[in-house]
Amino acid sequence: MTRHLTLAACVLPVLLSSACQTGTRVAEAPGVSTPPAGSIAQRTKEQNAALGREHKTAWDLYQALKAEAKGGQTLTASVVPDWTGVYSRPADKGFTFDPDTPAGVATTAKLTPEFQARLDKRIADVKRGIEWDPISTCAPPGHPRWLTEPFLREFVPTPNQTWLINEMVNDIRRVYTDGRDHVPAEDRYPLYNGDSIGFWDGGKLVVHTNQLQGGIYQRQNPDYTDQVETVEIWQRADAATVTADVWVYDPPSLAEPWYVKQAYVRLDPKQDLRIRYWNCAENQNNAVHQTQDGTTQFNGFSFDPARERNGAGKK
Amino acid sequence: MSRRLLQAMTVLGMLGVVGSTRALAHHSAAMFDEKKTITVEGEVKEFQLTNPHSWLLVDVKDKTGKVTTWGFEAEGPSTLSRAGIKPSDLRPGTKLTITGNPMKDGSHAAIWVNAVRADGKAFSPRAGFAVR
Repeated sequence: MTRHLTLAACVLPVLLSSACQTGTRVAEAPGVSTPPAGSIAQRTKEQNAALGREHKTAWDLYQALKAEAKGGQTLTASVVPDWTGVYSRPADKGFTFDPDTPAGVATTAKLTPEFQARLDKRIADVKRGIEWDPISTCAPPGHPRWLTEPFLREFVPTPNQTWLINEMVNDIRRVYTDGRDHVPAEDRYPLYNGDSIGFWDGGKLVVHTNQLQGGIYQRQNPDYTDQVETVEIWQRADAATVTADVWVYDPPSLAEPWYVKQAYVRLDPKQDLRIRYWNCAENQNNAVHQTQDGTTQFNGFSFDPARERNGAGKK
Repeated sequence: MSRRLLQAMTVLGMLGVVGSTRALAHHSAAMFDEKKTITVEGEVKEFQLTNPHSWLLVDVKDKTGKVTTWGFEAEGPSTLSRAGIKPSDLRPGTKLTITGNPMKDGSHAAIWVNAVRADGKAFSPRAGFAVR
């Protein structure tokens, strides 16, 4: 690699390279971040939304991006992007699936009438004090809701797969980038995080996910069905931020594909945060059930025996 | 419920003090009344650092000397850590004043909004969701 190319790689904001910091020639440093430049264009939010509408299915969009990337690249041990750090999704805009949802707007998704009615009822119920979250039983959130949870995250690219980690219930999405295909259609069954395959285009990881379960994008957000599929483009936007462009396709619930942009901000420049094991059922005081009117109630508290004796909160 | 507690509930309710961010992990906050706050004075009985929610148990003594244990729910240990709240900050016996959104059914439990130790140091779990 020429000196000029090495310098160019070192100033690319999408990468943090220890080789750059030490002045080591990138091509000679093992296990550092020097992917070649990608071919997929950086698009505006409006352009990405339009790109989603141009394709009937998530698979069609994924194939189009793969063609734009000229087939993409497979990583080698000497060319792995460095996404080191502990991150979290900013919570200052609330927890809507689309972080850019304007205040007072329930969702930016264009829902089918049936699913719009479901969302309207959910929001009306919450106003009456009725709310139940399906993960109250300690189930994992599942993808694409996985994208919205406000806890600690790590993103770990390796040559053949990338691990997208959420500390909540020790939840790991594995994205296979070794060239394998999805499992055959006849052998698919619904999974919490689905089946994810992908390819690299420079510093961008492009992912297609199918074989998902139905769920909700987040509380007071719309439902999705087990037909949902997603395309994501993950990249390090700057030294402190990893982003994901996300297109959701789910014909029963979405009148058109839903494009959103997620961002995860690095929290640990001093590397002082540690992710621990998450046992959702370790404290009886957190156990809840769904009442007959559909809302949430605690089963009982260890510290309030009178409440338990009186049966308050019991099923 | 002590007269002092009732007074605190009334005053804070009139002020419209409302938590700004819902408790998120795991379950809805529908069983809490987020339009109300209560404030009690007591001492820490136990700090349960657990997922998906931690609980701060506080013993509250009324004028007759009767002790009632209140539970204040917060997010899990990593979010508390991000809020700067450590186990050593709230050891058993620590005296504090704590404010929360109470249960609608009158149980002695609330969402932990803010706790102030006798030395003036404050602990607000929801600050743990900040990313900058």
